[in-house]
Amino acid sequence: MIATAPLFNRSGGWLADPGFGVYVHIPFCLHRCHYCDFNTYEGQDSLFELYVDALVTEIERWAGATRPPTSIFFGGGTPTLLAARDLRRILEAITRRMGLSPGAEVSIECNPETVDEPKFEALLAAGFNRFSIGIQSLMPHVLRGLGRTHSAERALESLAAARRAGVADLNADLIYGSPWERPEDWARSLEGVLGEQPDHVSAYALTVEERTPLHTLVATGRVRDVDPDVQAERHALADECFGKAGYERYEVSNWCLPGRASAHNLLYWSAGDYLGFGAGAHGHLDGRRWWTVKLPREFISAVARGACTEEGAEVLDHEQRGPEALMLGLRLASGIDVGAFNARFGDGCLSDRAGVISDIVGAGLLEQSGSHLRLAPGATMVANEVICRLL
Amino acid sequence: MDQAHQRAIAVIAHIDHGKSTLSDRLLQLTGTVGAREMRAQYLDRMDLERERGITIKAAAVRMSYLAADGATYQINLIDTPGHVDFSYEVSRSLAACDGVLLLVDAAQGIEAQTLTNLYLAVDAGLEVIPILNKIDLPAAQPDKYAAEMAALIGCDESDVHRISAKTGEGVPELLEAIVARVPPPTGNPEAPLRALVFDSIYDTYRGVIAYMRVIDGRIRLSDPIRFMATGVEVDADEIGVMAPHLEPVPMLDTGEVGYLIAGIKEVRLAKVGDTVTALGAPASHPLPGYREPKPMVYAGIYPVDGDDFPLLRDALDKLKLNDAALVYEPESSTALGFGFRCGFLGLLHMEIVRERLEREFRLALIATAPSVAYEVELTEGATRVVRNPTEMPDGGSIASVHEPYVSAMIVTPSEYVGTVMQLCQGRRGELDEMHYLSPERVEIRYNMPLAEIIFDFFDQLKSQTKGYASLDYEPVGSKASSLVRVDVLLNQQPVDAFSTIVHRDKAYDYGKTMTERLRKLIPRQLFDVPIQAAIGSRIIARETVKAKRKDVLAKCYGGDVTRKRKLLERQKEGKRRMKQIGSVEVPQTAFIEALRLEADGSKP
Ligand SMILES: Nc1nc2c(ncn2[C@@H]2O[C@H](COP(=O)(O)OP(=O)(O)O)[C@@H](O)[C@H]2O)c(=O)[nH]1
Ligand code: SF4
Repeated sequence: MIATAPLFNRSGGWLADPGFGVYVHIPFCLHRCHYCDFNTYEGQDSLFELYVDALVTEIERWAGATRPPTSIFFGGGTPTLLAARDLRRILEAITRRMGLSPGAEVSIECNPETVDEPKFEALLAAGFNRFSIGIQSLMPHVLRGLGRTHSAERALESLAAARRAGVADLNADLIYGSPWERPEDWARSLEGVLGEQPDHVSAYALTVEERTPLHTLVATGRVRDVDPDVQAERHALADECFGKAGYERYEVSNWCLPGRASAHNLLYWSAGDYLGFGAGAHGHLDGRRWWTVKLPREFISAVARGACTEEGAEVLDHEQRGPEALMLGLRLASGIDVGAFNARFGDGCLSDRAGVISDIVGAGLLEQSGSHLRLAPGATMVANEVICRLL
Repeated sequence: MDQAHQRAIAVIAHIDHGKSTLSDRLLQLTGTVGAREMRAQYLDRMDLERERGITIKAAAVRMSYLAADGATYQINLIDTPGHVDFSYEVSRSLAACDGVLLLVDAAQGIEAQTLTNLYLAVDAGLEVIPILNKIDLPAAQPDKYAAEMAALIGCDESDVHRISAKTGEGVPELLEAIVARVPPPTGNPEAPLRALVFDSIYDTYRGVIAYMRVIDGRIRLSDPIRFMATGVEVDADEIGVMAPHLEPVPMLDTGEVGYLIAGIKEVRLAKVGDTVTALGAPASHPLPGYREPKPMVYAGIYPVDGDDFPLLRDALDKLKLNDAALVYEPESSTALGFGFRCGFLGLLHMEIVRERLEREFRLALIATAPSVAYEVELTEGATRVVRNPTEMPDGGSIASVHEPYVSAMIVTPSEYVGTVMQLCQGRRGELDEMHYLSPERVEIRYNMPLAEIIFDFFDQLKSQTKGYASLDYEPVGSKASSLVRVDVLLNQQPVDAFSTIVHRDKAYDYGKTMTERLRKLIPRQLFDVPIQAAIGSRIIARETVKAKRKDVLAKCYGGDVTRKRKLLERQKEGKRRMKQIGSVEVPQTAFIEALRLEADGSKP
């Protein structure tokens, strides 16, 4: 316990040493959901093999800094659209190239219709140890509205199958506050998911992102826009249900059983370093952030040509890193550890903002709690108001 | 030229009844302007005027006319502004004339503004030549309107000229009638110089050009002269006539119309209505009728971008050179920042100034709702003039408030009489007289508060009579009224730009409309924001902007840190541009939008 505490602290608090992460992007889905603005494509099955090859090559030829990762995250898209052996090949390429910290978290995102018990078993055998399943809702009409193609039963069954296969770290993703959702719908989805006792739940307020089919539907008046007041109510309901069931909210949209927070996501919120592989993946090392070409085809051909896959980058100077770290860290319920924050980002960031901070504290939106600076309990749902003043 | 062969005339006409076309035709028939030059409408000067089809500034032109009697006459055509805001200018132009052409569209009949100006001309004792224009139009009803005009000016129907300014039909006969019926001027050539300034414009290169008619005596080049009202003393550097271009002459004789350039830098030093006399042998009395231009309508004008304030000041200073009636002084508003309280002759004048500021100086502006000047008698005895609602003293210290009244004249088809009367009564109007011009058309006069007129009365009148009614009004003093100031408070803080003075009976409507409007425009804050309308400390309407309950990004992971940071930076930038009213953050656009709605929307 004591030995692993600093590095693998999964209590959900801000990390003074966030570790080192690797993110792998799988940009394929069976169908695009109506609300989705991720870098993902449907109907590109013919590219799967080439894409996996390219990823493996890209990982093997990585020439930048590495450390044995403390967390690896396969996201998408739908990573589980690929065969378990392909996913295993990619994971092995990573561990071959950079090693793996003992006890590292290795997560993968799954869509209900692409997983079953044997697949979970194969993935566990491949080395994945945390599974995140996109449930979103258990109400058929809400699933339909969102453009999800799986049934509620299939969603629940995938959680059960994971458990049967022996998954110990299980997350369910949910979406609330969609225009189709009635208050009782949300309560029933919560109840149903909690019945499966996942270790972790992410519940997101539906956001109407530009360039999505949902955006068009809303803009043309065919679907009602989301109502922030309703979403605030649904968030409160979720918080209440999860709380009663023993979950703790450790980030704006994330709840977990004690000690079951996502190490990889904690690394993001603690402004840690991570490599990103695959089309449209982002990486971040010590203030330099970069992203690769978005189209799978371009990624494959760049790798084949031996060319650089990087599409763009930004270098944050000292003045920018602190505020960005604040923006991320204040999403956590723990807030930031002021001493450790100053050690990592310099005293200037907080001392320059002392006046604003004390104003916000005075307004009851921020609070100083022991060594930590964090959002006041009532301020989570209006965090932008606080954070944008600190940028 | 001798006085017997001089004539000065003006055309009185409603917009679009053909004044410009007739003027063009007269210039052409007298050979003053060649056909090629004719294309441009001569007497209108500014683009703005042309677009709106109105004449803001009067000018004059001299024509030589060889009449049937074999003699050559000098006919001076003096242009008059065609709008109610400039009725004083009209009266001065008429004072420089010997007769008027009353020009009426044979398809429309006489309109209110024409009537007002006709009465001015009759009061000034001028010969009136009635004319029906556009007889070439199939819709023309010359017999019907000739009867209307004859009844109005007490002449025979056969005395009404029937012309087409467009085809020229009837215009030669009209020229003959001008020399035959309009009397020559009757000034005394031997008396000391008295010349009436009937217009004055500012020219970037030459300074002020004053247009005038020599009533008595004569003026010679280089004469030292004095403007009797302003006391300005200068030398007549250049005098001349407009034929139609400025042509210098050595002397202007009794009865002649011409211009004067004397190195004057601002039009307010050579005002319309002033009398020019010679310093060597000055007249003992100026010509009658001079009046200081008196603003009737006030509004705050603010730059949308606060940084433009110095530009706005410079622009107003420049306009002022050319506009003796424009007054302004700096003021500041919590909602709108720094701007100017400006006084205008009327709504049109206000619109013209604003448009010139925006167009010629490329300023983005916002104006508060127009108001009038109130005379407030305080209980302690003093009197105060209030031009900005926020200056209105507390109810307790007020003995009485007087507001300016106008006599509003409306000419309408008789089927709309009921509608018009209802509208006027709703605006606190008192019926003064009603008069049938013909069985189909009625002239109605109401005494009404000016404040009611400037609040979209004209738009309402037009829309409720399908565009058929016309309106004119003139000030007729002031009256004590039961007026109150309604304040609009945002989270208990008054927002000055929305304070207004209204009749007690209308306070609630105003309060309700403004609070509702602002509720829709003010973004939600972290706390409930009450928006109240109040008379003093009494709240008459209330709305609430509910506290916002959610303003947080649902997700922020490794792949979208940059995008999310930019999103929040934009939010921060938006905040920076907010105005802080107490603890409430309001985008300036909300105030601007509310005022815009106020300007466009129906009366609250
Ligand atoms: N048919 C016809 N149209 C005319 C006549 N006189 C003027 N108009 C037209 O009426 C409109 C208004 O004329 P204008 O001289 O600009 O009117 P103003 O506003 O009084 O100066 C223009 O379209 C003219 O061409 C006329 O005698 N006959
Ligand atoms: S499954 Fe996920 S990544 Fe794929 S389209 Fe739906 S929301 Fe987007």
